[in-house]
Amino acid sequence: MNALAIAFDSIWSHRTRSALTALGVVIGVFAVVTLTSLGTAVSNYVTGQFNTLGARIITVSPSLPAATGGAHAPGRRGGPNGFVQVPSTLTATDAQAIAAAGAGSIAAVAPVADLPATVATSPTGSAGIQAVGTTNAYFGIEQATFAHGRFDGRGAVLGSRAATTLFPGVRRPLGRDIYVDGRAFAVVGVLNAGKGILGDQIDRNVFVPVSAGLSLVKLTTVSEIIVGARTNGGVNAAARVTTRVLTARHPNRDFAVIKSTAILSTIQSTLSTITTFLSGLAAISLLVGGIGIMNIMLVTVTERFREIGIRKALGARDGDILVQFLSESVLLAVLGGAVGTALSAVAGGIIAHLAGFPAGLTANAVVIALGFSIGVGAIFGVLPALRAARLMPAEALRSE
Amino acid sequence: MERVEPREGAAAQVIRARGLVREYGQGEALVRALDGVDLDVGRGEFVALMGPSGSGKSTLMQILGLLDRPTSGTYALSGRDVAGIGSGAAASLRGRSIAFVFQAIHLLPRLTALANVELPMVYARMPAADRDTRARRSLAQVGLEPLSHRLPSQLSGGQAQRVAIARAIAPGPDLLLADEPTGALDRHSGREVLRVFQELNESLGLTIVLVTHDPIVARHARRLVELEDGRIVSDRPVEDRITAAAAAEAAR
Repeated sequence: MNALAIAFDSIWSHRTRSALTALGVVIGVFAVVTLTSLGTAVSNYVTGQFNTLGARIITVSPSLPAATGGAHAPGRRGGPNGFVQVPSTLTATDAQAIAAAGAGSIAAVAPVADLPATVATSPTGSAGIQAVGTTNAYFGIEQATFAHGRFDGRGAVLGSRAATTLFPGVRRPLGRDIYVDGRAFAVVGVLNAGKGILGDQIDRNVFVPVSAGLSLVKLTTVSEIIVGARTNGGVNAAARVTTRVLTARHPNRDFAVIKSTAILSTIQSTLSTITTFLSGLAAISLLVGGIGIMNIMLVTVTERFREIGIRKALGARDGDILVQFLSESVLLAVLGGAVGTALSAVAGGIIAHLAGFPAGLTANAVVIALGFSIGVGAIFGVLPALRAARLMPAEALRSE
Repeated sequence: MERVEPREGAAAQVIRARGLVREYGQGEALVRALDGVDLDVGRGEFVALMGPSGSGKSTLMQILGLLDRPTSGTYALSGRDVAGIGSGAAASLRGRSIAFVFQAIHLLPRLTALANVELPMVYARMPAADRDTRARRSLAQVGLEPLSHRLPSQLSGGQAQRVAIARAIAPGPDLLLADEPTGALDRHSGREVLRVFQELNESLGLTIVLVTHDPIVARHARRLVELEDGRIVSDRPVEDRITAAAAAEAAR
């Protein structure tokens, strides 16, 4: 009869009560493990997306000129739709200059102009779709592939969702017209659906030639320039070339060169903060579960005064009794933790199925769950176990 | 269980208590359960401790059994001073040197008879094989080896109390303390249990202190100590003793 066997026997003999007691820990561990696993999964997924799709992309954004002291405060999508109004001075010619100078490390350069224009299938009206002026290089850099047709420098290319919004039920809308601020563009290509969160943006846009688009809205500057490096290792070299060329053309340095790796690390640290915060909230439910265990263990000790008295009369030391009751609370918590972890695995599977990205248990989360369970059982079991261990045997035997 | 011989250099006195006082509560509510008890019990004695309820006999037994501590006074068990020892040392003596049989059948309900008998030896950290041998032997001594795998709920009251006795004697204690061991039993089972005590005392030389309020039960012992209001008021040999043979006759 070791302590664990006694503990298991005691838990088993009060199955319903034990199950209800462990429920608090089940819920707590479930919440912590699910959120931690999910956080890790999302972070891994985003990293994977960046590595396959975006690792080689460098973005040049408008920025306040260095002279004003606001250098490298990048304006997000600096066009008229941008949240931060930093006037852009970047032009399609800048993009050409970068491409011409960086043949060694740069594979392609594309200007991106978010056009403040309506998009519709008739000369008037708006389908609420963003029109983007760019060049053919854009699709190569963003790794967007064509389902139909191609970008020919005259007509419009539709993102997959933009295509279904504009031409619902039309499988192959090539040759149909769309109107951007009332000017007709023939549809010359439709993109395949992009993969994951990064592809989503492209799916919703329509793309027109940058020069036509800019003249339509009477602008000369673009929102940003994207630069595709030849290799993952060549990103830094490409960024240096880009900075050098643009510094020559914009002596006041009113631009910012941002590598996607920097964006990635920002996203990762944000995700990690959110995950930690949510897991912390979930840990509160573990605390509640632990208090439940302490409560029931105190009841158990009171109920078993007689047993404690017998055991002490038979030579059990304080330590033996302490270990016995501590084993019981830890075992209870660990059993709860195991059930919570199993539920979390099921939930992960369901989330993975619905969200379309892997969200299984991580080894990390399981270790955390086990650690938390043992910790909760031990911390909240100490008080009841100490109370049991310190009983004078005579006192324990008197209570009949 | 082999006959208990006084060990080399061990005191012939199993119990030597002087001036035992035990008080409960404080101030106005102070109760003096024991009021200066001196008691000597030699090896191989069978002593009945008698008195009305509230006389302090159970308190005395708990102090003798190291289940409780005296407020003041000295107590030597087999020559060793144990009045002020720590709870760990007391626990270890309870496991080996002192054994108990209680009025209520204190068997753990979820353990078999054999496992119950082994329990004190588990706490004494005795090797499993040794434990098993001793447990079976002491169950045989109380005539219950065939029932060793029964749970307490499957035993009669007398059988359960005999299992408790087997459990008490299995580690080979110096002293067996019995608190109203027949109190919860019918007359027949009670006699059976008393006969077992007498046999253990006579054939093995086991020192027994039996607490009772029943004069007939007390007549099974060899010496009678009477308590009243926390003091010993009489200490004499039992004259009209009910012998083992007579007990066996009566139990038939």
